[in-house]
Amino acid sequence: MEKELLYFIVMVGVFFIGCFGLKWQVSISMFAAALSGLLISGNGFNLRHLVEGAFGYIDTILIIGSAMIFMKAIQHAGTLETFKYYVIKKFINSPRIILLAMTFIVMFPGMITGSATAAVLSTGGLIAPVLITMGIPMVETATIIAMAGMLGMLAPPVNVPVMIIGGGVDMPYSGFGLPLLVLAVPLAIFSSLYLGNRFLKNVNKEELKKELEKMKIHDIKVFIPILVLVTLMISTKAFPKHIPDLGLPLIFILSSITALFVGKEKNVHRIIKEALRDALPVLGILVGVGMFIQVMTLTGVRGYIVVQSLSLPVIFRYMVLAVSLPLFGAISSYGAASVLGVPFLLAFISKNQIITASAISLIASLGDMMPPTALAGIFAAKVVGLDNYKEVLKKSFVPAMAFVLYGIIFIYFADTFASILL
Amino acid sequence: MEKSKISAIVLTIIIISVIITTGSEFKSMQEEIAIYPSDGLTEKKQLSDYFEGLKDTPGDTEVYVFEGEEEGGSTLILGGTHPNEPASNLTTIMLVENLQVDKGRVFVITESNKSAFTHNDPQEGSPHGYHIETNSGERYFKYGSRATNPIHQWPDPDVYIHSSGQKLSGSETRNLNRAYPGRKDGTLTEKIAFGITNLINEEKIDVTIDLHEASPEYPVINALVTHEKSSDIASMTIIELQFQGIQMSLEASPKNLHGLSHRELGDFTDTYAMLMETANPSQGRLRGATTEKLIVEGKDKIYEKAGEAGFLFVEFDENGHPISERVARHTTGINEMINSFNMFNMGNEIIVKGIPDYEDILKNGIGSYLQ
Repeated sequence: MEKELLYFIVMVGVFFIGCFGLKWQVSISMFAAALSGLLISGNGFNLRHLVEGAFGYIDTILIIGSAMIFMKAIQHAGTLETFKYYVIKKFINSPRIILLAMTFIVMFPGMITGSATAAVLSTGGLIAPVLITMGIPMVETATIIAMAGMLGMLAPPVNVPVMIIGGGVDMPYSGFGLPLLVLAVPLAIFSSLYLGNRFLKNVNKEELKKELEKMKIHDIKVFIPILVLVTLMISTKAFPKHIPDLGLPLIFILSSITALFVGKEKNVHRIIKEALRDALPVLGILVGVGMFIQVMTLTGVRGYIVVQSLSLPVIFRYMVLAVSLPLFGAISSYGAASVLGVPFLLAFISKNQIITASAISLIASLGDMMPPTALAGIFAAKVVGLDNYKEVLKKSFVPAMAFVLYGIIFIYFADTFASILL
Repeated sequence: MEKSKISAIVLTIIIISVIITTGSEFKSMQEEIAIYPSDGLTEKKQLSDYFEGLKDTPGDTEVYVFEGEEEGGSTLILGGTHPNEPASNLTTIMLVENLQVDKGRVFVITESNKSAFTHNDPQEGSPHGYHIETNSGERYFKYGSRATNPIHQWPDPDVYIHSSGQKLSGSETRNLNRAYPGRKDGTLTEKIAFGITNLINEEKIDVTIDLHEASPEYPVINALVTHEKSSDIASMTIIELQFQGIQMSLEASPKNLHGLSHRELGDFTDTYAMLMETANPSQGRLRGATTEKLIVEGKDKIYEKAGEAGFLFVEFDENGHPISERVARHTTGINEMINSFNMFNMGNEIIVKGIPDYEDILKNGIGSYLQ
């Protein structure tokens, strides 16, 4: 047995024993797995690698922490309730339009920032009460939000996985707009209708109207935090020479501050405490995963996995791409784009590179649904009020298969798509 | 005392200990590495001499100047743009420690992005540095990151928008070779690029050679990338290298890929801008264990397998690509670029000596040419 395979088996084994045998938290199990990798490979108790690996997600951790604070701040300000009231009142006779419009609203922050987490935790939280009130169960609502978040990350103008893949082969980020749109929009419509349409057939409008009457409506000023958020997200991208990029964490915090002024809840301590209590398990997982990847790279396990994935016969390459990209994305979809996306793009070098890279980024985006990190899935479950996201993962199976199939078709017929779209 | 308070105290003590231990290890990367210039050195300047905005910043770096007695052309050799491409930095250190100039001027920067030498890329598992046996004993050299230290430039935007309007992933905002021609009021990385552009303009540098390495699975490898202005010099260099049995491909600088030295320095200055790549297994995605040995010896079983499967753009056998071979390629490439420049610029030549040739470096090892 090759030593890299042995290290990998030990690391994964320790993770499973910790997580399922000893019932440790996922983050602690990841730490134990990384430590076991260090020890078995002869690197000793090398703290530096554990800390350095954990720092790989410092920006993501700050985004999640600040986005969660924003979520809680607008929740306490009454923005979610008020938004729900106006949307349902206006479109009560067109539930499908509501469903599709809500899907694109979730996608929007992802399109601007390239982050599915930002989408799920900002507008995802906003639209969740609307869909639930319309009769879509919580699990389906969470799945719609998660899928829309990932498709927002995929859709133009900002697709970070494509930029990462392009950076690996010196391909400029231009010409991707239409292919990414053609990938994202049909999948967004399909996912939302597949998950939500059947619940909209029997919407009881009279009951909805009664519910609307009971709702506590706030002044329209509760939408100011959303306005500030969207304005800051767009303006820094639209006028980069005049407005410095504040970074997502600061944008979320500034928007949260405005929520304090427009809502009744002024207790900052309470908002932050609630937000961090919800976010902490995922932040812990990211720290653990960072350590795990660092040790995988240090010991050669990462290279071993990549080469094994690529070395299968060409006929299996599409299958391996379909399986390995989302699986590696379980660690991070950006990581999957970098570590596997670049070699796969080179493996398909005879095909149109813009179409292929776009499709690879679509499949890589599914990593945000895969445990243990599952950022889109976990936070979508949280914004609808579910404790466990396993049901969300199960519900996402068919749309996820559609992602993979559509992506593979795009790669297989890359040159044909290129002649039409580019 | 409550159980939860005891846990909190114990955890706090553990966290403080981890911070002190790993923090001091991290800070040790800021220590300078000694370089022993040859007696051909005429002046040691700072990049901030060309752009005041870099003074007292982590981006300021040494510029070694070698001036011949006779007036002639001038060249700037950039090493250490990406400190995870060690042959680049090591080639320039070897040049500083051996170079003699009879005619013209040679400017050498060994740590073009000095800040990037003070940290490693998270999740890459890289060593802090590597050791090389020299005639005077073992010497230590740094192995850093591809990008500026986030301690010095943070946070990254979601998307890096270059001054040309080109969009790249946010982390590229700390990549010096995506920042040219630089901005005087930009980020630290853009200021470094601006300083180098100013140096080229003020010193009227004829030839700029940017030394890099690439992972074996990267298509542009063992290659010379050239701006269209310098294609004659680059073509002649390739021919001369091939006469010596050194395979090097010629790549044209893409006009639509901005921020790179071979594109922007060619567009925004009068210099002939060229960039050279060698094969570095310690930076690729397919590599095995990341160790000092991999950096120095360049051997890797997983890369061998990847080579057999046809995933690499360079041959990779059991001999790998040792750092001596990579430095030898860079050194010979520099020599031939200077010779080719001289062919097209009679009377304005750059005459250098003291640079070991390809075979000598391979035979004796790079350590033999370090003080």
